[in-house]
Amino acid sequence: MTEQVTAPVQRTIAKLPLAAAVVALGGLADAVYLTAHHYNAEPVPCGAAFDCEMVLTSPFATLGGIVNWFSPETMAPTGSVSDIPLAAFGAAAYFVAFALATLTAFGDRRMWKVFGAQVVLMAFFSGWLIYVQAALIGAFCQFCLISAAITFTLFTIFVISLFIQPKTT
Amino acid sequence: MNNTKNVPEKKSNTPILIIGGVLVVALLAGWYLLSSPKTATNTNGNTAKANAANTTKPTIPANAPLGANPPNQLGSPTALVTLEEFADFQCPQCGAVNPIMNEIKSTYGSRIRFIFRNFPLAIPAHDKSYDAAVACEAAGMQSPNKFWEMQNLLFTNQRIWTADPNYRTTWKDYAQKIGLDVAKWENDMAGIAAKSRVDEDMRRGKGLGVNSTPTLYLNGVDVPFQQMNVTSLKQLIDAELAKAAPQNQSAPAASANTGNTNK
Repeated sequence: MTEQVTAPVQRTIAKLPLAAAVVALGGLADAVYLTAHHYNAEPVPCGAAFDCEMVLTSPFATLGGIVNWFSPETMAPTGSVSDIPLAAFGAAAYFVAFALATLTAFGDRRMWKVFGAQVVLMAFFSGWLIYVQAALIGAFCQFCLISAAITFTLFTIFVISLFIQPKTT
Repeated sequence: MNNTKNVPEKKSNTPILIIGGVLVVALLAGWYLLSSPKTATNTNGNTAKANAANTTKPTIPANAPLGANPPNQLGSPTALVTLEEFADFQCPQCGAVNPIMNEIKSTYGSRIRFIFRNFPLAIPAHDKSYDAAVACEAAGMQSPNKFWEMQNLLFTNQRIWTADPNYRTTWKDYAQKIGLDVAKWENDMAGIAAKSRVDEDMRRGKGLGVNSTPTLYLNGVDVPFQQMNVTSLKQLIDAELAKAAPQNQSAPAASANTGNTNK
């Protein structure tokens, strides 16, 4: 009886990391695109309701800009490190999320906890970036919103996995 | 999550191969996106980007509105290199760029002409920026130096007065600090002249298609925000000065300002 209940649950749980890996790939593609945009200074195609350039050329789009925002008194002339786009960190984060989800899908369940910790941090940061776009920049970038949606989806997948754990041990 | 012992039965290389494959594809995609666009090749950080900007066509049309006249400017009106910045006093990035501009101004002095244009954005988060621009212009009506002193104070303390419901009282403190005739300053703030100057600058910005701040033009060429750092700006300005120098020697009579700004 117990087996009959847990087997579908087990299958569902096994599918969640796989789904997370696929979703993370979408985030990786988005972030790689934005990183390339940053370095070649090409405008991105942007919907009428958005102002991508305003967001992507704001200081919040770079490591140095964010450091300056939180600690203006330590502001130094921007250099190559300061100029690293946030999208590059996003690409790295999505790649790590993809790797963790993939390892979990192939049976290494410990990686799922690391994945969970990472997506919680990413979700908080994405929330802050949405606030930045709404309140500080006053404009939205569709690619940034897509990235936030992907992060929240990863977070949701992880939360769902917590609620459908099998009761038997 | 698993209800059995979590030790993998057998180590498989498949996930590692998949992860490695994705990494390679992501790197190749990034490389392709970087190398395929229309701009010049980007292989060397700031220098490459500076070169890319140099290949950009001038973006200021000849018939663009002139803006406030005389503009708020520093350096030499006849300099061969003109920097024209459009900024909003409540824009954090403008505040971040301000010390960079200050360094550029002090480094190049009269070798460049620096023009500051008010471009308060009409967005809810910037509800005080138009007033700030007017306050700055009102300070400038007492002396050009007072404009720059007020401009610096407003940018430096941006986060303080932005969050202050009594921001006008705070500005009054700034006005006293820089030695303004506060009564006259308040009077000028309420008057038409200071507002007209802000409106003129905004008209110029809109005419040029400015839709974000800071927007910076170097001899009429729009400088991408990523290049608004001391290193890149110096490279760009030095390149412009080097370009202008031989022309200046061969045709001294034509040494008037090549910028596309008013005056």
